[in-house]
Amino acid sequence: VEKAIKEKKKIVFTGHSSGGAIAILTTVWFLEHYLKPGKTLMSPFCVTFGSPLVGDFIFNHALIRENWSNFFLHFVMRYDIVPRILLASLSTVGQELDQILKLLSQKAMFPIQGSVREASTFYTSVMRNASAVASHAACRLMGNTNPILETVASFIELSPYRPCGTFVFLPGHGKLVVVKNADAILQLLFYSAQLCSENQLNAVAERSLNDHLGYPSELQGCLNWQNVVQLDHLEGLPLSSSGAAAGNIATNIALDDLGLSTRARLCLRAAGEHEKQKLSNQQRMDNKRQEIELGLAKLEEYKSKSALCKVGYYDAFRISKYEDDFKANVTRLELTGIWDEIIEMLNRYELPEPFESRKDWIVLATKYRRIVEPLDIANYYRHAKNEDTGSYMYKGRPRRYRYTQRWREHGLRMPVGSSAESCFWAEVEELVLLYRTADPGAFEVIRERTINLERKLDEWIRSNQISNDVFLKGSTFTKWWITLPIQHKSVSPIQGQIDREI
Amino acid sequence: MLMQIADLIGKVKSIVITGQCIGGTTASLSALFLLCHLLSLSVYPPMSVLCITFGSPLLGNEALHRSIRRQRWGENFCHVVSKHDIMPRLLLAEIVNHIPHIQALLQFWHCCMASPQLPVAGLSSQVSNDLKHILFHSVLKDLELLTQADDPSESLFWPFGSYVFCCQEGAICVENVASIMKMMHLMMATGSPNQSIEDHLKYGDYVAKVSRQFLQARNFEEGIPDSSYEAGVALALQSSDLTDKIVPYRAEIEWYKACCDEADDHMGYYDSFKLTGASRREGRVNINRHRLAQFWNSVIHMLESNKLPHDFDRRGKWVNASHFYKLLVEPLDIADYYRTGMHRERGHYIEHGRERRYEVFDKWWREKSVPEEENKRSKFASLTQDSCFWAKVEEAKEWLDNVRSEGDAMKRQQLWHKIDNFEAYARQLIYNKEVSKDVLAKNSSFSRWMEEWKEMKLQVQQITPLFPGFVDGKVVP
Repeated sequence: VEKAIKEKKKIVFTGHSSGGAIAILTTVWFLEHYLKPGKTLMSPFCVTFGSPLVGDFIFNHALIRENWSNFFLHFVMRYDIVPRILLASLSTVGQELDQILKLLSQKAMFPIQGSVREASTFYTSVMRNASAVASHAACRLMGNTNPILETVASFIELSPYRPCGTFVFLPGHGKLVVVKNADAILQLLFYSAQLCSENQLNAVAERSLNDHLGYPSELQGCLNWQNVVQLDHLEGLPLSSSGAAAGNIATNIALDDLGLSTRARLCLRAAGEHEKQKLSNQQRMDNKRQEIELGLAKLEEYKSKSALCKVGYYDAFRISKYEDDFKANVTRLELTGIWDEIIEMLNRYELPEPFESRKDWIVLATKYRRIVEPLDIANYYRHAKNEDTGSYMYKGRPRRYRYTQRWREHGLRMPVGSSAESCFWAEVEELVLLYRTADPGAFEVIRERTINLERKLDEWIRSNQISNDVFLKGSTFTKWWITLPIQHKSVSPIQGQIDREI
Repeated sequence: MLMQIADLIGKVKSIVITGQCIGGTTASLSALFLLCHLLSLSVYPPMSVLCITFGSPLLGNEALHRSIRRQRWGENFCHVVSKHDIMPRLLLAEIVNHIPHIQALLQFWHCCMASPQLPVAGLSSQVSNDLKHILFHSVLKDLELLTQADDPSESLFWPFGSYVFCCQEGAICVENVASIMKMMHLMMATGSPNQSIEDHLKYGDYVAKVSRQFLQARNFEEGIPDSSYEAGVALALQSSDLTDKIVPYRAEIEWYKACCDEADDHMGYYDSFKLTGASRREGRVNINRHRLAQFWNSVIHMLESNKLPHDFDRRGKWVNASHFYKLLVEPLDIADYYRTGMHRERGHYIEHGRERRYEVFDKWWREKSVPEEENKRSKFASLTQDSCFWAKVEEAKEWLDNVRSEGDAMKRQQLWHKIDNFEAYARQLIYNKEVSKDVLAKNSSFSRWMEEWKEMKLQVQQITPLFPGFVDGKVVP
């Protein structure tokens, strides 16, 4: 790999069956290690054939978020059983699995004498499990609210494995059906392998093994990519073979080629609707950006005004004596509402996967965090919530700040917890509480933490991540800091800053 | 047994409690006991409880339902009910008078389950046909009353948890109480007394069938609507084999007609409906009449907006169903038309008042590809084969009235002619027995009209010898 990179070549990782799984993992390793933001590097490509599933829905979510999903292309013959195996739990198919794997590794074409029964039993078990997984997923997609769904689901072992990347289904005769929507791919993995009638069972079971070995011959006929159908706009799929509008004919043929029943098409539609809904939610949030910017502008103004009074907006808000402070609180609460809604949607996977890595949102979120979190901290300590709940950082910090801090750290490849400039004041408050000048050796208790804090503060001030209103005469920080022992203060990096303000 | 269950707490992660029939209620009670017990113990990790019952009677009242709901325990109960099984529906009906029947039934089922190798049909004779009939119709009636009330609070017993209704075609899961009651009613209405008893024993079959259904791709046989919602609903209905959900409304009207035929006033359902518009019984019939009208109008609308397959109107099932509906219900529409005096505002029904759907159905019937055999009827048809017969009677009534007061001899001549023709037509229908007995009821509009007409003819015959020229409209001195 190193050699190829040096020669500036494009690397393609590929494999068949379990080799495909290794190819996927290798590609991810490559992307994590070599593809750094800002570095120019040829993006890799990963092509698999009949590969089993590799990760769960979070794995898929992360791939899409990082914009790596497009590097993965998985070919699946219509009845090939291997990509479906991991939709079943080991306890239900374990018995037959060994034999089936042996049969497959022989790489001979079927029928092999006496294997039909094993193939049929195996096929039925895998399909039963796949049906449960697909139905459960479809119920969720369609917004089914019957609580018994989750109860029953907790009694069955549902496989956590999910597809990722782009899938290309091969229904036969040189045709190709390309699908990107992961929810749709899951449904297709189940529904395209269904029987048309029960007496097909043995034939299809045999085919489920044969197909796994049929990639070379099938793909020979597809190489010119003539008969390709992209399945998108899933929400408008024709529900029956005869119901297609003119523009949909190619799609309809593809759906028929995969033997998709009405129920299958409804599930695909649901997958399409879900994706559409995510995009529409994102649009709604994008429309709120302006509102957020306005709120932040108001608070910036509040901040500058407070600075003029030598108190700093943190302390002004902490005391909250005037109307301006009250108005600032209103703005703070309005912004809280918007951000909480975003976080809520993220938790329910109702926003598109790339949302958290969008640069414009990371920038806005960081701005929000830096301006507004200090006010949340001030509010927390003003009402002595630390006495009920514990310190702000330990128990009181809202998810909207924790998440947005992670967005920045992840986006800039910073160490976890390093972008903590917005919770500076929380540490100050805790140190103030711990430092009781009456006790001898009081400073020892907080020495290490204080040194750390000062060092970081220095850095943040220099990089303009924190403004120097923290050094104002009336600020909590200053008032505490000047009480520290002289030996410490004289060597402190921020000594100069304080002197300048006072 | 409760001690055994309590013993398992802390030792197992999850437990499934199950039972059939009365065993199901025992299972439900055990599960409730366990859930309460777990609540007080606050076990960690929490133990999962699932209770699955088959053909069990209802357990408790609305208060129980509400408590279970409040505790969110509804999610732990799954009640499987087969399409026709009478047992789960029993407690929705007034069964105080049927206790000995039910006991006989329970014994019968017990026998069947104890000796599964004996054919059910053989044992079936243990339970008399009368008993089955009485029980079945009594429960069905009460179910219908229940579902027609807007809220189900009239019932003493309430369902809780989720219900899975199953049949040969598949299964459907319902959670909403009103929907559960409706499904209970509608599915049972498509069955017979025998089926309602035998279905109780078929759970093994249904479960086996349904658990193999994942293997096969299933499609619609008939038209597929384009909306996902409609398709989903249609698939669900298909799973419950309920494509004819209008059956109960039609059944109610048929029953009404039969009642009127037997009634003491000998009026027949046309006149009964026309005369009393306001009584409770007629009120219900009226509601069903409207519902059926809505249903059929929407079917036509869907057909015309290409939401149904284009050969829909040639499919036997729908052509016959629409024809039957027309013959049964159009007389009521006519009765309503004349009762409210619409004919005075708009003109006679046939020309001015007829709803479009009936014309469409006429067309479908005429274009039927399979010609109807000309059967010789041995008894009167159950429905008059001309759905507009009564409208013609009404017109004939008016002609008769006008003949007396008509001054213009020409016009009188024409009216006389029309009346004659109608009489001939009616006689032909009656001769071919293509009318139903309500037409000939003693006090029906038709019968009374015939009386009047006969009298008038007699009068004219008496008069004619005195005034020979009268008939020609000329007075010959």
